[in-house]
Amino acid sequence: MSDIIGQEKVEQDVVLRIKDLHTYFYTDIGVSRALNGVSFEIPLGKVMGVVGESGCGKSVTALTIMRLLVRSAKIMKGEVSFFRHTKKNDLSTMIEAVDLLKLEAMGPEMRAIRGAELAMIFQEPMTSLNPSYTIGDQISEAIILHQEVDHHEGIQRAITVLDQVGMANPKMIVNRYPHELSGGMRQRAMIAMGLSCHPAVLFADEPTTALDVTTEAQILDLMRDLQTQFGTTIVFITHNLGVVAQMCDFVSVMYLGRIVEQAPVEELFYNSKHPYTSALLNSIPHVGSRTKTRLQSIRGVVPDPYSTIKGCPFHPRCDSFMPGKCDQGMPAQSHVNPTHTVRCFLFSDEVEE
Amino acid sequence: MTNQGTSPAKSDDLLLEVKDLKKHFPVKGGFIKKGVGTVKAVDGVDLFVKRGETLGLVGESGCGKTTAGRTILRLLDPTAGEIRFNDPKLGWINLEKLDRKQLQKVRPHMQIIFQDPFSSLDPRMTVERIISEPLLINKMGSGQEVKDRVAELLRVVGMRPEYMSRYPHAFSGGQRQRLGIARALALNPSLIICDEPVSALDVSIQAQVLNLLEDLQRDFNLTYVFVAHDLSVVEHISDRVAVMYVGRMVELAKTEELYYAPKHPYTEALMAAVPKPDPRKRDRPIKLPGEVASPANPPSGCYFHPRCRYAKDICSQENPELIEVSPEHLSRCHFAKELTLRGVIV
Repeated sequence: MSDIIGQEKVEQDVVLRIKDLHTYFYTDIGVSRALNGVSFEIPLGKVMGVVGESGCGKSVTALTIMRLLVRSAKIMKGEVSFFRHTKKNDLSTMIEAVDLLKLEAMGPEMRAIRGAELAMIFQEPMTSLNPSYTIGDQISEAIILHQEVDHHEGIQRAITVLDQVGMANPKMIVNRYPHELSGGMRQRAMIAMGLSCHPAVLFADEPTTALDVTTEAQILDLMRDLQTQFGTTIVFITHNLGVVAQMCDFVSVMYLGRIVEQAPVEELFYNSKHPYTSALLNSIPHVGSRTKTRLQSIRGVVPDPYSTIKGCPFHPRCDSFMPGKCDQGMPAQSHVNPTHTVRCFLFSDEVEE
Repeated sequence: MTNQGTSPAKSDDLLLEVKDLKKHFPVKGGFIKKGVGTVKAVDGVDLFVKRGETLGLVGESGCGKTTAGRTILRLLDPTAGEIRFNDPKLGWINLEKLDRKQLQKVRPHMQIIFQDPFSSLDPRMTVERIISEPLLINKMGSGQEVKDRVAELLRVVGMRPEYMSRYPHAFSGGQRQRLGIARALALNPSLIICDEPVSALDVSIQAQVLNLLEDLQRDFNLTYVFVAHDLSVVEHISDRVAVMYVGRMVELAKTEELYYAPKHPYTEALMAAVPKPDPRKRDRPIKLPGEVASPANPPSGCYFHPRCRYAKDICSQENPELIEVSPEHLSRCHFAKELTLRGVIV
């Protein structure tokens, strides 16, 4: 198997490489800088967690990669290299790199990738399923489009994939409408839809946030099984650190449109470096902590994305704030060790730009 | 009926006692909108709350915890049962028997904090009007007096009194929740029902609000009934916890006992399902098959039996009574005394 494509050396263990992604939203009240230089690599066949508070750009990152942004959003600059086998799911073929941002968002190439090779499951199974089509129609839509089968065969494959996600009685469910299903069943249907074409990468945007703990446990269990079975790479977007600890291999922590820390999951939980990551970890009550200590809260609030903050965006809320330094320049991404990067002046004096 | 052991000896320490509370909603259907069934949203809740403590009320969505909270405050009229409240002025009263006028006298002593800080504040009222409304309704002063009280309340919840003239849209979720708390505190209540007060907030803000609630409890000797579905938050804040399943309270115990030595299989499954924020402790939770039963059409016998891995024949036939397994530890399970269940694994 060759891994030299064009002039670029392709690492076989990376499926997506995102470089310096900037996405802005142009609205009536100003420009919202949702992403300000997001760079990371998604290792093949692993589960990558993306965590952060609401408004930090987690979902926008996924939508930018999927090219599903609304019209008011502009991708200012950046690069998204998707490494795929020239023939889908045929491991003997060569690996080629595709820059997704160079493709037309609604063009034939992107449409061939979206749903088939990169798929996404959304947070709210209630609003992201179409209420006027049956579950079977909605799942088979992608199958019919990407696998070139007729309607009957599409429905049959929808039944198979519903069965794979552990839906009881899939033959009956394909004829049901979304409102007839419970929240957990709808989320299973969403996952079935995402997996229906065996994508290389699955973006899961808060897939369990709207669910109860027992249903959440079922869905997480299911995703873990499917990941081992199909080797799908999963990008798990969440703000629940418990879910991250249980599911992910690598974690990226985002704050205001930037990745502030990146590490393997154990390293992140036991040896976090960025003050924001540590504060986040200390602010959640742990089940089984037994002690009634005060929670450490992060003072202030996440600044609104319309404003620009000079220096490190976290400095107004940071306990390790160094005047004259943190409020002047943006810290560059530095390596703590080969797999662990952090963006903070406590660990490197390097300034970005 | 099923309230053996719910009353500890000294009733002066108690603030609230609920016995076999029920709230059923009729389901109407068809052309002439006649009743076609009932949703038993709350179908047997027995609990007591001591002065100055926090009682957590947990369960999955649709289990009736919010309805129970609202029925206790008489925001909804109970279908059956007894709600006894120890009013600081009137002494023990049965809330379910009061009419509107009598209720108004008791209401200042029991307040509620709502889940969604975006829909629970009127967007057309200034902060001053929102917080002063309960003061004016209950004729607790006028003019400058009220204004001073609002300023004081804002300071108590960690906000600047200058914000008084602003409208809710100018505030973030966490700040709005602080306003909701200030409004609940306005009349110096003794009981506050906190209905999922932090579930709409980001984690860092959630910690701020939880800390604030704890400080206020200490400073003003408040009693909380804390309704939530996040088990780690409930463990953090509660002295005792009640677990609900399909409208029924299935277990009530001190927090530690409930989390580490549960006596109901549903509690065990619930504890196992919480994802632990520690990558070194990855375990596959006990699989709870199926879905939560519908309160409109609950199963026979024990509502949990179709999903319970310890279920025996009796479970599908007889509804278990709430029994006292050990002092102040109640469980609604036929085998509560025999089963050895797993709590949170640390």
